[in-house]
Amino acid sequence: MSIKYTIDGVEVIAEASDTILSSALRAGVEIPTLCFDKRTAIYGACGICLVEVEGVPKLLRACSAKPMEGYVVHTDSDRVVRARKTALELLLSDHTGDCRGPCKLNCPAMTDCQKYVQEIKNGQFKQAVETIYEAFPIPASIGRVCPHPCEDACRRQLVEEPISIAFLKAFAADKVLAEDPYVIPVEPDTGKKVAIIGGGPAGLTAAYFLKMYGHAVTIFDQQPKMGGMLRYGIPEYRLPKAVLDQEISIIEKAGVVMKNNVKLGRDIQFDDIRNEYDAVLLAIGAWTSVPMRVPGEDLDGVEGGIYFLEKLGLGEKPLLGKNVAVCGGGNTAMDCCRTAIRLGAENVYVVYRRTRNEMPAADIEIEEAEEEGVTFKFLTNPAEIYADENGHVAGMKLQIMELGEPDASGRRRPVPVEGAIEDIKVDNVLMAIGQIAKCDGVEGIELTKKGTIVADDMTFRTNIDNVFAAGDVTNRGAGIAIEAIGEAQKAALCINNYLEGDEVRYKKPYFVEDEKTEADFEDRPKQAREKMPGLSPEERRDNFKPIYFGFTEEQAINEASRCLDCGCHDYYDCRLIEYANWYDVHPEKFPGEVHSRPIIKVADPISHNPDKCVLCGLCYRTCDQVVGQTFIGLYNRGFSTIVNPMVPADKAATFCATCLKCVEVCPTGAMKSEIPVVRRVER
Amino acid sequence: MKLVVGEGSCGLAAGAGAVYDRLDTLLKENNPTGAVLDITGCNGMCFLEPIVDLYDDEGTLHRYVKVTEKDADDIYAAVSAGDLSSLDRLGITPDDAHFLEAQTRVALRDCGLINPENIDDYIARDGYKAIEKILKTGMSQDDVIEQIDISGLRGRGGAGFSTAFKWRAAKNSEGDEKYLICNADEGDPGAFMDRAVIEGDPHNLIEGMLIGAYAIGASTAIVYVRAEYPLAIVRLEKAIKDATARGYLGDNILGSDFSCTLRIKAGAGAFVCGEETALIESLEGKRGMPRLKPPFPAQSGYWQKPSNINNVETYANVPWIINNGGAAFAAMGTEQSKGTKVFALSGKIKRGGLVEIPMGTTLRDVIFDIGGGIKNDVPFKAVQLGGPSGGCVPAEKLDTIIDYAELGATGAIMGSGGMVVMDETTCMVNMAKFFLDFTAKESCGKCIHCRLGTKRMLEILDRIVKGQGEEGDIEKLEELCYAIKDGALCGLGQTAPNPVLTTIRYFRDEFEAHIEGHHCPAGECRDLITYSINKDKCVGCSACSRQCPANAITGELKSPFEIDPELCVKCGNCKTACRFGAVEVH
Repeated sequence: MSIKYTIDGVEVIAEASDTILSSALRAGVEIPTLCFDKRTAIYGACGICLVEVEGVPKLLRACSAKPMEGYVVHTDSDRVVRARKTALELLLSDHTGDCRGPCKLNCPAMTDCQKYVQEIKNGQFKQAVETIYEAFPIPASIGRVCPHPCEDACRRQLVEEPISIAFLKAFAADKVLAEDPYVIPVEPDTGKKVAIIGGGPAGLTAAYFLKMYGHAVTIFDQQPKMGGMLRYGIPEYRLPKAVLDQEISIIEKAGVVMKNNVKLGRDIQFDDIRNEYDAVLLAIGAWTSVPMRVPGEDLDGVEGGIYFLEKLGLGEKPLLGKNVAVCGGGNTAMDCCRTAIRLGAENVYVVYRRTRNEMPAADIEIEEAEEEGVTFKFLTNPAEIYADENGHVAGMKLQIMELGEPDASGRRRPVPVEGAIEDIKVDNVLMAIGQIAKCDGVEGIELTKKGTIVADDMTFRTNIDNVFAAGDVTNRGAGIAIEAIGEAQKAALCINNYLEGDEVRYKKPYFVEDEKTEADFEDRPKQAREKMPGLSPEERRDNFKPIYFGFTEEQAINEASRCLDCGCHDYYDCRLIEYANWYDVHPEKFPGEVHSRPIIKVADPISHNPDKCVLCGLCYRTCDQVVGQTFIGLYNRGFSTIVNPMVPADKAATFCATCLKCVEVCPTGAMKSEIPVVRRVER
Repeated sequence: MKLVVGEGSCGLAAGAGAVYDRLDTLLKENNPTGAVLDITGCNGMCFLEPIVDLYDDEGTLHRYVKVTEKDADDIYAAVSAGDLSSLDRLGITPDDAHFLEAQTRVALRDCGLINPENIDDYIARDGYKAIEKILKTGMSQDDVIEQIDISGLRGRGGAGFSTAFKWRAAKNSEGDEKYLICNADEGDPGAFMDRAVIEGDPHNLIEGMLIGAYAIGASTAIVYVRAEYPLAIVRLEKAIKDATARGYLGDNILGSDFSCTLRIKAGAGAFVCGEETALIESLEGKRGMPRLKPPFPAQSGYWQKPSNINNVETYANVPWIINNGGAAFAAMGTEQSKGTKVFALSGKIKRGGLVEIPMGTTLRDVIFDIGGGIKNDVPFKAVQLGGPSGGCVPAEKLDTIIDYAELGATGAIMGSGGMVVMDETTCMVNMAKFFLDFTAKESCGKCIHCRLGTKRMLEILDRIVKGQGEEGDIEKLEELCYAIKDGALCGLGQTAPNPVLTTIRYFRDEFEAHIEGHHCPAGECRDLITYSINKDKCVGCSACSRQCPANAITGELKSPFEIDPELCVKCGNCKTACRFGAVEVH
């Protein structure tokens, strides 16, 4: 006799042998559970499958409760959500591990660094590139120029030095580009059209994703070629434009239409584009140099650093005198000073108002600039630029500074030393203290005080319907390329949702994150970071040849093998993290004692990490009820309960059938096998 | 003349064994009046142990209390001389005697009156008459269940579920093999009535179980006793042997078609095994962890067979009900709660022990009339009912009657009958922490809500009593309480929040004082109090200093002493030692 009832308004027909769970699943209503597998007896430990039945005072466990005729079951009432959420939060309040490694979590584009580094370690270069393409295109370019927040977070530092993640990316990308270039898979045409204004890292990334989703994508760019600041802001010796061209052509081959020499407001009108396309993404970057507000900055021979680099990118040869001052301490300043050296300047000064420690430029850039002969004038600030009789720059007065109290950024604020002035003779001054957006030709768009476009940081929408914005042109302004890429990747998702008719806000997923110290890695053998082979300072000073040769395959594999492989291997199979993200958990609500127990060797090749165990009992119940062994079981009580082998380790081989079923059913990464196992439960 | 020494665990702990041995030695040497020496179980007056009951030749009872080994010599001398007047100093006071006189005893009817190791004593008090009545008058299974139904008997172990309903369900469950199980895993801190019944009247339990087994159609009965009750196990083993020898257990009981065996299974000391499904798992030799219900044990219990589980006190009422009729039992008590209930009175109470009273009695009567009020006449603060699964009832609710629904409305529960009395020196936050510490430790670890929820609650309470509470902690506790009640798998977890919820309900200001003012109003939480000596009251006797384990108290005789707060470990020994009230707590 069948029973009729409803779950969340869906009518369900159940047999006498059914539980609410089994009949709901059949009817397509999802009920989460961590401890249920129909091959074992109903257990009811996790309490994640709780449902509310109208007229029944207690919440019921769907895995065991029998439906009754006319039951009105809710899986999404406030009470159910609260109970499930609390259970998950309690579990996660004592769950130690890294869902994802610090490298991935710190990458603004959430690139799965650990995965591609491991793939490189295994010699799976093509897979490595595919992994990177899950996050963004142009890996060979980004691998060369990225200031790599991933490496800053890399835990290998706790042993000696971080993994050379960026160069490994460039290595794999170069290799695949040379041998068998990546082909972007494209969904069937959706009939929707998207215009992207700006073909820099953000525009290219958004185009790549939107094309994959099946939309018709056109990029408009004011420059003769695509690439944005990668092409017109980064000198050739750091990023050979041939590499960039190749990577852009991959995107073009996927069907993205690229229109260059088109400037918004001049060649095309914003309103026309808006009307013609279903959605518009503004990714026009920040191309205006920030003025220094110093007397004499309008003189002939004084120029914005990015304009100087842009000219070079356009193939012009900017004229410089023998003595050049570059003002600023970031990577653009480094690009300017090193380019000046290459253009033949004899004395190149970097004028920076703080000390080397506070310089935002990458250490390696400063080092290499010094090697190439750049003179750093730390703790100096331009006070005045003065001219010769022809009105051309002749020199610069520098105010000597000293470090005072820390400012809002945490860096010590430079303060002038009264009356201390230095005079340097220079023929050119390049200002590289920052760049800002200029939004000419975008009528009606809401701007910040800085002049950047106001874009919602979760939906990337602007104040104008169907217009989105991402990258340097938005909100806080210019950042690094990978930040613009990260935004574009999410913006593309939001645009896709918009084109499909619903607004889905991007939400950062919840991850369990571990905290480790040097002590945790004391027993690791040390292995130095691979040195990038390249030109000597002498060899690179007078030309724009790429300064790095790239890793050899042997070096790359060596370097990748240093990776500590932090992130959990079972992330994609883990139901705990899946449900945690369903219910928007906040386990930090329940602080308290957190276990820290050693990994238990169960029986070769099985090991058990009790700190990831949710005590669902599936492993030992499967061992007992499915396999017919009772090799593992529970020990202790309450908070100290732990899954352990029931026999001493030296007897393990005798008792454990190594069928790996315990690993197969584990809903998290607690039970682990050295032999790959497909995680699977039967519901 | 007959001398009876109370040899329950409580009596033995107080020295009854030595008293018995002394009397035995003396009487064996020379027994001019032919006095008989015997033992009995606990009569409930644990606060007066060791107790010697002397029945004179007229059968009049003379009760001597707090008897020492030396007093035994005096009793012997008086008995031998045939003049008891010298023993008046040992006699029970009328006030103390009121403790028993005010009670109505059904489950405990033989306790303290018979020798539990002597089946004839039980038979002499209408023992095994009930099973005889059933088997010889041809009462059917349904007739028996009908009487239980009329009696209104509800499970005395805690949940208070209708006994007749459970028996009927087990009886109606299909299956050729059924089991009747007695839950004697009495684990609530402060409850010991089941122990008293087994130690004092084991045949009553056996008879009650026999009747249950007959009613549901079981031929195997099992008593699951906690291993911490060795004396109960010994006496029950002897009782089973004697009852089997007399034909009350075994095949064709009293010549009928009804056959039933009874055996004992000793538990290994896990509180959760008092939960019926965990008990069944343990009986089957597995780790004691609860099963999901349904299926209920009546459908699928021990070895997946229909099984009925009641606790000791429930079964102990059954022979009386059959002998006197269900209606007689139902005549006592209230509309919804029939018969009597045994309570174990402990804590800051003058007369602690076992109290059996009709349902409907007020808490005030139990605590102040029978229990004699609070020790040292300090003001009453609250009473914890139902142990770690129950809740506290504050002074303003003292007139609440003992009734499942009325007690439930206060947030407490009838429970198994633990009644822990607290006075104003008890910190309620610390009390809640004590019970939660118990449940957190006893959680089997199976379900998330109980394993981790009680742990996190305990950590919050621990912070609060240390003065490290934060704003929002009370709300967080409440949130966890409701989540655990909703999500925990078994009764242990579902009721674990009760002590916390009721203390928040009635004593929220105490929580706030700890959190906001870092102050313990009861002066109990060590991290929040300091001890000092009031110079005006101190006479310089050095009593405090001599009791201080940390050598924190110094001074010269006859001038005020001082406590070094750096060294003080806040044990309170000094306060107890001081006879002038000079040690003060802030």
